Amino acid sequence: MSDNLDRRRFLNAAVFGGATVVGASALGSFAPQAAFAGLRPDADPHPELDPSLPDPNFAEGRITGIDGAMLLVTGSDKARHRIYATSGTSVWKLRPATVDEARIGDGLYARGVLLGDGALAADAVWLNIVNLTLYITSVGRDVIHFDHHGERVVGHVVPGTTVAVYNGTPAVTDLTPLKVGTHVQVIGAWRPDTNEVDLATVYAVA
Amino acid sequence: MIESFAAVQPAVVGAVLAWAGGVKLFGSGAAALARRTALGRLAGPHRAVPVYRTVGSVELGAGAVLVLPPALAAEAVLATVLCAGLLGYLGYARLVAPDSPCGCLSERPTPVRWRGFARATVLLAASGTAAWFGGHLTWADALVGRPMAAGTLLLAEVVLVLALSPELDAHWLLPLRRLRLRWRHPLAGTASGNGVPVAASVQQLLRSPAYRIAGGWLRSDVLDSWDEDEWRVLSYSARHGEAPVTAVFAVPRLRFRPADVRAVLVDEHTGDVLWQYTPQRSPHRGTALVRVDGPSA
Amino acid sequence: MASEIDTPFYGESTWFCCGNAWGPCGGTGHGACGTCNSGSLQCAWPNLSDACFSITRPDRCGRTGLLRWGCGHTFQITSRCNSATVSVRIADCGPQTDLFCGEQDCCSNGLCARDRLMDLTPAAFSRIASLSAGKIPVRVAS
Repeated sequence: MSDNLDRRRFLNAAVFGGATVVGASALGSFAPQAAFAGLRPDADPHPELDPSLPDPNFAEGRITGIDGAMLLVTGSDKARHRIYATSGTSVWKLRPATVDEARIGDGLYARGVLLGDGALAADAVWLNIVNLTLYITSVGRDVIHFDHHGERVVGHVVPGTTVAVYNGTPAVTDLTPLKVGTHVQVIGAWRPDTNEVDLATVYAVA
Repeated sequence: MIESFAAVQPAVVGAVLAWAGGVKLFGSGAAALARRTALGRLAGPHRAVPVYRTVGSVELGAGAVLVLPPALAAEAVLATVLCAGLLGYLGYARLVAPDSPCGCLSERPTPVRWRGFARATVLLAASGTAAWFGGHLTWADALVGRPMAAGTLLLAEVVLVLALSPELDAHWLLPLRRLRLRWRHPLAGTASGNGVPVAASVQQLLRSPAYRIAGGWLRSDVLDSWDEDEWRVLSYSARHGEAPVTAVFAVPRLRFRPADVRAVLVDEHTGDVLWQYTPQRSPHRGTALVRVDGPSA
Repeated sequence: MASEIDTPFYGESTWFCCGNAWGPCGGTGHGACGTCNSGSLQCAWPNLSDACFSITRPDRCGRTGLLRWGCGHTFQITSRCNSATVSVRIADCGPQTDLFCGEQDCCSNGLCARDRLMDLTPAAFSRIASLSAGKIPVRVAS
């Protein structure tokens, strides 16, 4: 805990403190070399990957085991993955989280770098994340009921976390403009083995 | 009494069959819908539309003879067979293509679910009752002879069929729910007092000039976030050449002002700041994100 | 086969899961092309076939120029917010464009895109943006 506080103080000083930039780092002299966790010219061993094959730097499946910072995952194609999370790995579970919050049974997507031993050194892990087009059928206290291709989905409003974006305007916590009988896009965290989702972001055309 | 109750059943079943037939024969989107239904899978892509329209013709014809006098036992038997066939089709659709639209009573793509089965069962029971207990009494005669009893039964069955028709929810159920929300909105508490969630700050970051420059260096999603007075600080893993570094963004917490986002790229091992972005401040205050007493600015 | 000159265009991209994956994707199957998997660099296209077009109806949003491309066709998708790029192959029909006509997404400097015209697998989307973003403005080129 105190390590984290020290780290935050250090990073605060960097972003607010007007620190001296080291080396040839004037604005514009670094061109972004590669895409987000994607085309690393040096690290990506499959620069011309056949799009129809599984991306070796990506894993999906459900967590079947946890060994410290290593997640054992079984994919939907039954492939087994070992995912290493480090201090530089982001973990999303409805909101920014840590690997300690991973549970057996969680659904997982991970992007990183495939190591020589076949494990994935993860840059980013998303737990139970879903992106669904849903139809609002009713609204209750801290809950929105949806239809998803004829199946019922229950969306839980999480105070302090759930936001709505109305046609690209700034995200707000106010969900009252959402209309029964309209379609919305929902980013949320699935509650494993249920038809329930904790709502992170609701995109609506106002 | 039982004969009167049996006599009104053809009115309900006939009306529903005629409605179903009309949708299949005259709906503007019927052809496209037909190919997507389980019937389309059964008949094949080339025969889906003709088969769909043929079913519609049979339904419309059966509905007409049921509703119009005279009341013949054979009509009720035909209706029973059709309703049994509908129930069987629903079972097939649920098994073979559970997400496919029913195509039964609306052009609106509505998958087969329990309400469809319940409705088909009600119609089967109604037509079976008419076939078993009905005589030569028409539904109009039954309403004249026993207006209260027969009329109440007819109304109750119509309401039941409508309530079991998800295709019609948009016409009555959803407006009722919208009305309820106007009276007392269960989510009214979300309008204020919840602070500014991290997702809102991330959205602002993605729209900032700082992200447009630094976004290509990022390797992770949000690593950590914390509040520092009027700012929300977001950190990400990033890469500068081979070296792992940390990207730190300071986003205005209480205002939507992406142009004010500050950024640095830091090597945490050496403590060096490798790059920084400090925007020019302008007098425009941006949009308030926290609503206290009224709508957001 | 394309019958028009194909030029790059701009639109919103979301992401979707396929391949009998976990959660609400449990029963999705492998998409309209029978090859879709969440872990592959693939996409869904709203004008994959007549049947697909009758569902997605991009014309209802005024997008009448989308070409017909079949399974396996390759696109270059570029994020308008950070210029990251990924190559994807069509493996499914989608997104449901007409449900969100006129919806707009923007980056800084007014770089925007309107209407949902592309749907990427999680593997593909995460190469150019974070999955938690949900949707981003993109440039689509053949």
